[in-house]
Amino acid sequence: MRTSLPVERVVGRVLLWGGLASLMLILIGLIGYVIEGSPRVQEVVRSAHAPGRGPALDAYTTLAQLRHALARHPPDALAVAALGLMCLLATPLAGVAVAIAAFWRHGDNTYAAIATAILAMLLVSVALAATG
Amino acid sequence: MSPLAFVAALFATSLAAGTAGAVLGLGGGMLLIPVLTLFFGVDLRLAMGASIVSVIATSCGAAAAYLRSSLCNVRIGLFLSLATVSGALVGATLAGVVPTRWLQILLGLALGYSVLTTLRQLHIEIPEANDTDPLALRFGLEGTYYDAFLDREVKYRAERVRAGFGAMFGAGLLSGLLGIGSGAFKVLAMDHFMRLPMKVSTATSNFMIGITSAATAGVYFGRGDIHAMLAAPVAVGVLAGAAVGTRLVARLRNSTVRKAFLPVLIYLAASMLLHGTGVLR
Repeated sequence: MRTSLPVERVVGRVLLWGGLASLMLILIGLIGYVIEGSPRVQEVVRSAHAPGRGPALDAYTTLAQLRHALARHPPDALAVAALGLMCLLATPLAGVAVAIAAFWRHGDNTYAAIATAILAMLLVSVALAATG
Repeated sequence: MSPLAFVAALFATSLAAGTAGAVLGLGGGMLLIPVLTLFFGVDLRLAMGASIVSVIATSCGAAAAYLRSSLCNVRIGLFLSLATVSGALVGATLAGVVPTRWLQILLGLALGYSVLTTLRQLHIEIPEANDTDPLALRFGLEGTYYDAFLDREVKYRAERVRAGFGAMFGAGLLSGLLGIGSGAFKVLAMDHFMRLPMKVSTATSNFMIGITSAATAGVYFGRGDIHAMLAAPVAVGVLAGAAVGTRLVARLRNSTVRKAFLPVLIYLAASMLLHGTGVLR
């Protein structure tokens, strides 16, 4: 079987390990949530079945909220799962960032520039969306 | 429904969405959103938040495996992402200014035509190479992968690069204008315009959908639409499904993947035409 090219390999590794690390955090969070035996599970199901009632229960919407919940002893289990989700959402962007470095290292300036342009546009769209 | 049954059903649905998404190069939102809203009664906002998580999870899980097996082509993916991301930015800027109904009708007709052309080339396993496109050489839009079904290495090179790039810009534009995912259009542009092997098209689309969705994912998170209790089982199910899907693809013919893709095209064409003509709202 043909082995993948260096850039493909390094981007693939970032996606694989990013996905696995996120999965671990999500599972730890979910298992912790179940072990806590929190009655909120019922509340979450109810809130998911009640359309249009404002922000979802226990949803972390800012990094500050998440940091605060993770700093507790023990950390909030749902916050650990939310951290895993956040890592998952950031993984493709990390893949593009790593591709820039890999193309650069292999002297492929055209693709390093293309990947940089994509990352710049993605960051602009995130900034535009964040400022409304 | 008990909480445990709810989470188990959510996991099973996500497993199916992840498998289908990895095989067909889609995010799985097409399956997840209707199931979550219609069968589980989940708020559309939260369903869309879970769907964006599903798109990125499918992309991470599937693209990592496809990159290892060389089915996914990073250069083609990044080259075309340039078109889709810039198209999406222009589309998001024009949203509310451009009448979307006519666009939906036009897109529906174009997709209807694609259904016919897909039917004509349904049994083609590897497209025959035609004239070499200088742009494909300039940007290195070519590759080789080992096809386990054919038991040989398959070499391919993109054709009609300008048409493919234009179609990708259009897909991004519509995605920005209408707020829809564009995985199916990406596959279509690579398969129809650039004449890439179907499995390379779906694998590369899997890589691309993660990149384009990552930008919007932050917005959903900031709005509180991504709830851990709902999105976490979806992410776990989809990642597991993507692992199943990537193993399945290795054993499938290109023509089988195209046949599986056909109902998606028919659904999209009908949906666009019905929404554009006002039959569906």
